[in-house]
Amino acid sequence: MQMPEPNQTIISQRDALAQGLRQIVGKDWVISDDAQRRPYQCDGITAYMAMPLLVVLPGSAQEVQAVLRFCNEKGVKIVPRGSGTSLSGGALPLEDGVLLVTSRLCNVLAVDEHNRVARVQPGVPNIKITEAVSHLGLCYMPDPSSQLISTIGGNVAENAGGVHCLKYGVTANHILGIQAVLMTGEMVELGGAYLGAAEGELDLMGVLTGSEGLLAVVTEIAVRLEPVPEVARVISMSFASVEEACECVGAIIGVGIIPAGLEFMDRKVLDAVSVLIKEKFDDRTAALLLCELDGTAVEVDALVGVVSDVARGQGAIELKVSTTEEERQRIWSSRKLAFSAIGKLCPDYYCTDGTIPRNKLPEVLNKMADMSKKYGLDYANCFHAGDGNLHPIIMYDAAKPGDLEKAEEFGADVLIACVDAGGVLSGEHGIGVEKRDLMTHQFTEVDLQQQQMVKCAFDPKDLLNPGKMFPTLCRCAEFGRMHVHNGNLRFADIPRF
Amino acid sequence: MTDTQTTASMRPATTQDVADILMDAASRGEPLVVRGNGTRAGLGNPVAATRVLELGGLDQIDFYDPDDLVIRAGVGATLDEVEQVLAQKGQYLPFEPPRYAGLYGTNGARSTLGGAVSTALSGPRRILTGAARDFVLGVEGVNGQGDVFKAGGRTMKNVTGYDISKLVTGANGTLAALTTVTLKVLPAPRAEVTLVLPAATLEEDVALFARMRALPLGLGGLARRVNASGLCELLVRVEGTVPGVAGNQQVLNGMLATRGGMVVLEQEQSRALWAGVRELDCLNAKPDELVWRVNLPATTMPAFVEQARSAGCINRFFVDWAGGVVFSTMRGVQPEVDTLRYRKMAEKAGARATLLRAPDAVRAQFGAFPPVSAGVAALAARTRTAFDPAGILNPGRMTVQA
Repeated sequence: MQMPEPNQTIISQRDALAQGLRQIVGKDWVISDDAQRRPYQCDGITAYMAMPLLVVLPGSAQEVQAVLRFCNEKGVKIVPRGSGTSLSGGALPLEDGVLLVTSRLCNVLAVDEHNRVARVQPGVPNIKITEAVSHLGLCYMPDPSSQLISTIGGNVAENAGGVHCLKYGVTANHILGIQAVLMTGEMVELGGAYLGAAEGELDLMGVLTGSEGLLAVVTEIAVRLEPVPEVARVISMSFASVEEACECVGAIIGVGIIPAGLEFMDRKVLDAVSVLIKEKFDDRTAALLLCELDGTAVEVDALVGVVSDVARGQGAIELKVSTTEEERQRIWSSRKLAFSAIGKLCPDYYCTDGTIPRNKLPEVLNKMADMSKKYGLDYANCFHAGDGNLHPIIMYDAAKPGDLEKAEEFGADVLIACVDAGGVLSGEHGIGVEKRDLMTHQFTEVDLQQQQMVKCAFDPKDLLNPGKMFPTLCRCAEFGRMHVHNGNLRFADIPRF
Repeated sequence: MTDTQTTASMRPATTQDVADILMDAASRGEPLVVRGNGTRAGLGNPVAATRVLELGGLDQIDFYDPDDLVIRAGVGATLDEVEQVLAQKGQYLPFEPPRYAGLYGTNGARSTLGGAVSTALSGPRRILTGAARDFVLGVEGVNGQGDVFKAGGRTMKNVTGYDISKLVTGANGTLAALTTVTLKVLPAPRAEVTLVLPAATLEEDVALFARMRALPLGLGGLARRVNASGLCELLVRVEGTVPGVAGNQQVLNGMLATRGGMVVLEQEQSRALWAGVRELDCLNAKPDELVWRVNLPATTMPAFVEQARSAGCINRFFVDWAGGVVFSTMRGVQPEVDTLRYRKMAEKAGARATLLRAPDAVRAQFGAFPPVSAGVAALAARTRTAFDPAGILNPGRMTVQA
């Protein structure tokens, strides 16, 4: 993984830039010494690190505006960051760029119970929104696994998913309005604090969501609130083969049921987990599905019956249904502990998030077994089966020379297999730097150019989070004059980083 | 009420034909009207162009995978056909796309899937299941330079690159001539009933809607209208599994008992009723009347409606989305004056007022869509240039030229 060459002239101006930024945010909120910058060197992908030029923590939307305006004038790059839980390197700092951290913008500004909307600042951790409205019987639905830490601003940047997005949708489906600041410091208000507030305008809010901090810095978000489902029950279903478990996924959806969550764990994950939860899984079990159903009590009881019948028909060898909230939590604990359990099996692991049509699950899982042999690395599978969102856990040892590279190649092969099966490189983690160089496998030059043209409309100087998402930097000045046909791009031989 | 001055239409059958036409038009800077079959051509501002690019011929269904809840079709596939294909497997388009054929005096059977995506109109179920934008997984289209591009994909979750699919949804053909769209579909609810009860004041009714929505009852429609007998009534659609609906109906019965006079419409009756609500039938818009849609917070709706009625800006109206949208007619006596007044009123209330139907001259002058701030307008213009540098795709459809 290679990043664009840092601009030494900018780096040489570090002290003057720090001084200028301190005048905007106050002297305590610009971090320039090595020791305090170090924790910001990486995000959720610790394999990629860079020391940010400076770390700035603005305390208001106006300060964000001023910081961006200042950096825009000086030609300094900006990398926005929330809590730094990105699993694709989206918040990886640049050595010649300012890391703009939203931690101080952490207030729930308003809760409108009757119109069911909350206005929040970007640095609010996801879980805090639900906590702020739970006394009203309401919640914010999207629940990425990182929700205790990851911020709503980061969720918007990555269009975060989560276990329950099968039924309730991803972040983009729950955002009603966005206030954002362009690189020039100009503030734009998109949509608003009610359903339909964006009707009749170009869906700029839609394209900002999931844009990985390349288009604008979000300073306020209006999110939809939903009533908390009355009950939730989970069914644990064991299968003697991976294929049967996969087929059961399609069968459940085929009978017209959209579970609140539908998760898959293979035998390796179960073995790792059973050590932690001190519970044995049936020896015949090769794969386990967890299917959560929610709604009113009457409805859930009916659905539990239907899903159980489907599972038996698909050859399930054992079914466990939660009857109390405590049992539900206990059954889910195996899934929640899966990644830390695997972490105890190996020194390091690497996890990607390619997504495929559900009926291709067996095919792609079989290919993974072959890849494991090819690279000589062990792996396990624990993923969101309901929406075909794979999470292969590739085990390696960073201390062994060449192991990380092998793990990365294994991961890339899985992603390529996903695209070849009609799927996509990323279902919820984003492209960032991690999958950037694979974009050409999913998209043609024309597709990518069209996307980068959008970048030019927002950030023509390419100062916001450059080096992420696309395998080449933006060439806004040239795009206006370029014309591509049949995928043949002029300057096709320019260097990629 | 369609685009004026057009004399010729081109009806390509393949994506490559669309690309050839657009490359040719771009080279001459010739603006084009881009549409499906033109059944909703009255929506948006009139486009000054002499030729029409009609995409209704791209009408194939590429694949439909019920177990994967996904369908991909040419933009010209009719909504009727798509909905029929889905219904055979017990599935549907959850955003309930309206045709507005009655409104525009066109043939709704020819309304296309591409038109539904491009106009991003969503029906009564939006409060429960989401809008058109929430179901577009991927698109293929041709930009204003004649380049064929694709975006998104066919999987339920996808964060690979910018969400161009959302951007083109609701762009009314101003960014690209879409050629195929891939949509997420859902199993249709097995059971539905509608509770019909007498209306009270707007304030009381909105408060009641809020109380009902506070419970997780799966309410896929909450509207207030004047029925054929001239009585004002509330419509409550309950959807889900058979036992689920029965259970939720019981909860609602308890909640609504004090209102009295409740009538229950089962399955087919309920479906027919909501198809009419979706099409704004209960407005009974007369040919010379203007038709408006105002989106606003439900809690501010009653005061807004009262004010607009006493000012003569609302003639007849009905309320959908639990109070979050008002559809209304306006007398066509002094449309320019009233349009300006109504828009100002909406702006003051923090609402967005869209002129769904009006004479060409009125839409050309005031814009069918409510204005946005200068900054957003400039950003939108730059975004349009990113797709269509020569400005040939439905120029001015969404914005009034200064």
